[in-house]
Parts: sequence; structure tokens; C-alpha cells
Amino acid sequence: MSPGQTSLAFRGNSVRALEDSALRAAMKQATDTFGTKRSEAFAPVADLEALRDRASAIREDVLANLPMYVDRFVASATRAGAVVHRANDAAAAREIIRRILADRGARRIVKGKSMVSEEVELNSHLEAAGMEVVETDLGEYILQMEGETPSHIIVPAIHKNRRQVGRLFADRLGVPYTEDPQELTQIARKALREKFLSADAGISGANFAVADTGSLVLVTNEGNGRMATTVPPLHVAILSLEKMLPSLNDLPAFLRLLPRSATGQTITSYVSVITGPRKAGDATGAKELHVVLLDNGRTEILAGESRDILKCIRCGACMNVCPVYRTVGGHAYGWTYPGPMGMVLTTLLTGMGKAHPLVDASTLCGACVEVCPVRVPLADLILGLRRRKVRDRFADPWERRGMEAFGKAAASPALFALGQRLARLFWPMVRALGGKDVAGRMPPPAKTPFHRRLP
Amino acid sequence: MSGAGRERLFLENAAIAAAGVRSVSGTGDLLAALGQIVAIDSPVYCPGVTPIERAAAALFPVRVDDCAEAAVTVEEVFGAIAETGTLVCSSEGGRAVQAGLLPAHHVAIVRRDRIFDTLDDFFTAVAGAPPTNLTLVTGPSRTADIELTLAIGVHGPGRLDIILV
Repeated sequence: MSPGQTSLAFRGNSVRALEDSALRAAMKQATDTFGTKRSEAFAPVADLEALRDRASAIREDVLANLPMYVDRFVASATRAGAVVHRANDAAAAREIIRRILADRGARRIVKGKSMVSEEVELNSHLEAAGMEVVETDLGEYILQMEGETPSHIIVPAIHKNRRQVGRLFADRLGVPYTEDPQELTQIARKALREKFLSADAGISGANFAVADTGSLVLVTNEGNGRMATTVPPLHVAILSLEKMLPSLNDLPAFLRLLPRSATGQTITSYVSVITGPRKAGDATGAKELHVVLLDNGRTEILAGESRDILKCIRCGACMNVCPVYRTVGGHAYGWTYPGPMGMVLTTLLTGMGKAHPLVDASTLCGACVEVCPVRVPLADLILGLRRRKVRDRFADPWERRGMEAFGKAAASPALFALGQRLARLFWPMVRALGGKDVAGRMPPPAKTPFHRRLP
Repeated sequence: MSGAGRERLFLENAAIAAAGVRSVSGTGDLLAALGQIVAIDSPVYCPGVTPIERAAAALFPVRVDDCAEAAVTVEEVFGAIAETGTLVCSSEGGRAVQAGLLPAHHVAIVRRDRIFDTLDDFFTAVAGAPPTNLTLVTGPSRTADIELTLAIGVHGPGRLDIILV
């Protein structure tokens, strides 16, 4: 998506989200649970701050030398037998993957969870080419069936409750209605097992790519990532450039931080380290491995003032604590990545012209900065984008004039008192003209100003 | 860390991750433990490659060569990590790592001398030339995708048993 398109409708989406009581209940329950689990998981970690410093320093080194690490990864992965493709933008990535699959006659595709594949809108492209693409992460499977997009980067169907999932499965899979998560999970297991065993190819993302060894690292819980990468004869991985780590020795710091930050687990059920395709004498691995490295604006971000967002390891902790995300949910943001990291990345990847309404989606309370395991300075990044919004003239001119007027009035007691009197005088008119949308959300001006009420 | 301390920490952490854990000494004890753990699951996939696996395989008359058709996999795994209660499955030596994934029940035998203290110790040992597939397994397959309610056995095994020998 390019600048100049219609802007994301964050305000309108938010108003609708606020009226959706099921969504708000689900969001509150989920983000509260995540917050508690995260705190409990970190409690026994000695030297947490040193661990964050170390992880942050590794990510900074990766960004400072990204082209070198990418080249090293390409060389190592190629040596291990993988075929590495570079994709400049989303269209190129989609087309590379379609061609790899089409050239090999692959029609039935199973997919592990990948936010980068959401970013490039891969599924619809492959489906248009006549391929069957099945999402196999339970949350993604639910959303694919419903025709929805993820609203959280770790738990994509966080906005749905068990009754909605139960009805969906009963309708689409023809199974008796149940709202028991364990039973629903077993239904999905059966349906998807057949897909795995008959698939021509598996598509996955990767949490990290290791430059020294050319390895892909997948951090998962369900086992679908393991299935998609080892059962079908062809494995295509798509990941963005900045996921590099220098060496496998750097991995432990991230394995200690990522699961704790994401789901409150000490470690996930599975961590797969995949180095090349199946080799002579191996009984594991796809016969062919293709890695698609996506730029899609990363190189440009790297050269700009917001480059620190590329340190992000996609744990989702920032969204779980964000008062805005917790209230409106992920869909309100209107693009692939929600929450604090999402509003920054979306603005940088899609352009201020499209994303400027998102820049307001923060109270700058700094909770995201507190929890970020790799010390992404999210509040500074958001503030930087707000400055750019004003500079690039995407700020509402009336808001700007209003702020300037308020600034002058606030500096002059006489002017301020006059403003208060005018507000009281014109309030009935504002209420009559502005209607519920304006006056309904604003408290009427007080008869006596607060400072006069003090003894 | 002392051998006993390492072993205790591994078993403790594996149990926290909802794996069944046992510690045995000698082949007799191992076979007795296997007999109890695998009592009702059939057919069995047991690669029968290592001496331990060969001893174990003799216990199970109904075996399959394709792990996708098995109800349970009984295998000796590459090693373990005490810090997290993790098993390490490796593709080294022609091992099928997916054998610990496809059946609903995974029984992993780990030798005491193959426990690494920490994630760092393990990755330092393999960082030079990793095999095609290294999979760290901690507890059974799980999800919380529906209302953050824990459900076990999504795509991988719903039951994981570890026997330390």
C-alpha cells in the first residue's frame, strides 16, 4: 500500500469497537490475563534488566550491520542447501512464492502462522492462482473460516469468544455444537491432520534467522509450525530482513525473553531450528527449502529516524498493556500490526498519508516502553511520528488552530477567564449544533472554575 | 551444577511444563516403566537404532515403520536442557524428528549424561554446525487461542512422558 490512499479509519473503527460489548469483554479478559502471566513469568528471572540490555544490544548490532548480516545469512543458508530469494516489496514476495509453488505443481498448501505473510496478503494471491491455502494455527484457522484478519500478533482470534467459535465450527465443519476449548481443539486437530498429510507444500514465517548458520528459528506451541516445515516435501519460509541474529549463541537471550513477554511461558512447547532442507542420510525436513527475504520498506526505515522499531521481536507485550489497544482491540487499527509497535510500523510501512490517524492512537503513558523486552523506545517513536504528522501537514488544521489559541489563553489569566465565560455562554449552542457526537462525550463547563473552589 | 542437581532441576522443570517424568536406573527398570507408560497405546513407533531403543522395541509386538500411523512414539532423544525442562530432538544420524510430533503420545528416553545445564550450554555445543533440524520440546503441544483457555494436544502430542536413564 502506498501513501496517498484513503487514510485508515481509526476513529470510526474505535467508536464501533467501543459499542461492541462482547469485543470489549474479550479484550479485557485476554489482556488482563496476559499481563498477569507475563509478570509471573518474569518474577523468578534474576538480572532481568541485564538480560534486556543484552538482547537490546544484539538487536542494535544487527540493525547497525544489517546488510552484512543479511549477506552472511544468504551465504550460509545457500551453503546449507536452501534457495534464498530477495523480495523488494509485497507484490514481488507474493509472485516469487506463487511461482515456486506453481512450478512444482503444488496445489494444496498448509500454512504456519506468519504476520509477514499477512503483511503481503499472500493467501488471496495464491487462492486466485487456484491453490488451496489452509491456515493451521488454531487462531488463524478460526479467522480464515470466518473471513477475518488477526487482531493480535500472538493470539490472532483474541477478539472471539468460545460460543462464537463453537457456532462457527458447527456451521462450517458440520460437527455437533460445543463451546469447550479442548473439544474444539480436537475437532481442529482432526480436520487439519488430513491437510498436513496430503499437502504439497508448507509455508511458514520465522521468528529469527541466524546469519552464521543460515538457520531459521520458529518459536511455537501448537506444533503446526513443525508440521508445515517437516511433513510436506516443499517448505517456503517468508520473513522480513530485520529478523536476523548473528549466531545461535545469541538465541538463548531471546528464548528467555520472547515466550515470557508473549504468553507468560518460560519457554514455548516447541522451538525449531531449521538449517537447510533434508540432506543425504536425513529422515527429517522438506526436500526443498526456499527462503523469501522481504524488504518492503525496511531498508528505508533503517535509514530514517524511526529505525529502532526494527529491533522489535513481535512478542505483543506492548499491545497487551496499551490502554488504547485494550479498549478498542486490534481491528480498529485497520492494518496487519496493531498496538504500539503496530501503529509505528504501519505508519512507516504504509506512509503517513494513509496511516496518520493511527499516530493519535496512544496516550503516551509509556506502559509499552516498560514492558518491551528489547527496549524499543516506543513512546519516543510515536512522538517522533506526531511531529512528522504536523510537519507533513496531516494534522487537522482546526485542531492546530485550537491548540494555538488554547496555548495563548493558557498563558494569560485574563484571556483564560474570558474563554471560560464564553464556553459557559455558548455551551447550549454547542450542544444543540454538535449533537450527541460532540457534546455527548464532553462534560459541560463547570459553573465555578476548579481553582475558585479551593479554599 | 552437580549431576544430581542438574537432574533434579530438569525433572522439576519438565514436570512444571506438564510432561510426565520418571527417573530409572538400568534396563530392567526402564522396561518396567515403559510397560506401564505405553500400556494401552498401539501401534508403537520405535526406531530401534540405539541400544536403548533396541531393548525397548522388544517390548512392543505391534510396531509400525511409519510414525504417522503410530499411536505412540518410543525413542531415545538427543539430550535435554535443565534450565527449562526441555527435550532436544535432533535430525542427526538420520533421526525422524517428526516422530515426536505426529503420534498423540510421545515417550522420550534421555540419558543422564546428555543433560545440558542451560540454553547457552546447549546452543554453544551446536552453534558450529547444526544438523538439518533441532527441535526443543517442552511439555505437550498446547494452545490458548480460544479465550486464552489452555487446550492440550493441538497438532502435536497431547501426552509427553520422559524417562531419564
